[in-house]
Amino acid sequence: MKKTLQKRLFTGALVLMTAVMGGQPAHAAVNKYQAMVAADVKKFQAYFHKEFPDVKLDEFANGVYALDEDARKQWKEMEEFPPYELDVEAGKAIFNKPFANGKSLASCFPSGGAVRGKYPYFDEKRKQVVTLEMAINDCRVANGEKPYPGFKGDLAKVSAYMAYISRGQKIDVKVNSAAAYKAYLKGKAFFYGKRGQLNMSCSGCHMEYAGRQLRSELMSPALGHTTHFPVFRSKWGEIGTLHKRYAGCNDNIGAKPFAEQSEEYRDLEYFQTIMSNGLKFNGPASRK
Amino acid sequence: MKKVLLLLSMAVSMPSAALLADPAAASPSLIEQAEAARKEADALGFEWRDTAKLIKHAKEALDKGQKEESDKLASLALLQGKAALAQAKSTEKNWKMMIPK
Repeated sequence: MKKTLQKRLFTGALVLMTAVMGGQPAHAAVNKYQAMVAADVKKFQAYFHKEFPDVKLDEFANGVYALDEDARKQWKEMEEFPPYELDVEAGKAIFNKPFANGKSLASCFPSGGAVRGKYPYFDEKRKQVVTLEMAINDCRVANGEKPYPGFKGDLAKVSAYMAYISRGQKIDVKVNSAAAYKAYLKGKAFFYGKRGQLNMSCSGCHMEYAGRQLRSELMSPALGHTTHFPVFRSKWGEIGTLHKRYAGCNDNIGAKPFAEQSEEYRDLEYFQTIMSNGLKFNGPASRK
Repeated sequence: MKKVLLLLSMAVSMPSAALLADPAAASPSLIEQAEAARKEADALGFEWRDTAKLIKHAKEALDKGQKEESDKLASLALLQGKAALAQAKSTEKNWKMMIPK
């Protein structure tokens, strides 16, 4: 009895000390997965702070425009009449349009759809990463509708509307189980692994080459990559999802792209979003 | 006895049916080899962008009777398939070493 009490007091003191001394919440110290991930986030963000000491953490949400003043000026001018404005309006209409059964996307999402900050997350029951676009299509299927196809169109528009009304929500993606950590590691291996005919990796371009010129383009930093999607790209002439961008990158390096909402891209999105923990969602955005 | 010896010597000196067959028909074609390598790389998530296209063009060339062109394309596809497999194995083993410090 005495030993049990001593053990409990010791455990309580240990948790309290860790929380106070480490400056971390107590649950981070007792959750080994969350602790391992937090260490990765710290290293990842430190890399960019070292590379770009004058750029504040929040600024990385603006991608390459956080690094280049001339490009930033042009982008700011473009944002005065943002090219995604009509897509956001269309997305709002889609969000509220009733399905055949009388329900709508609005029936599936709380807070009027301002839930960007809750995605992606690891669904412990389904044992997989759920992204916002996946949840949108899940809602449609659950209500007897067909899922939206592809990387663009209505799926991107409704996602853009939901991102727009969620602007300012903080990224705080968790990894709370062995299964979630496995998905996180898969995303991490994808990010750092070389692939395709050019034998290149996400990190090669967006960490080691971030801020440097690659042909005519300045490479964007990976920190903050997932904050601002969907994106209206001048190159596309329309709005598209993060997974469309992933597919484009894979194609550029001579690798066969994966499908929209494939497990590979969802795990990559999970890893990348976690690396941007602490930043704020600021999508949709315009890009070259 | 002489007849038996004669038959035995004939059997030994005659090439077997297998040896007489077209070697290309007995082993997988370049296209089949390339397709097998492509599938294996795809299963690992490392297929290259152009491998399937090269195989398709190799098949089309063969259908048109352009054997030399077909072999050239299939060889390139096979090379890509094998390189993608090597890349998959190397990445699986070494990706942690690719994390920038």
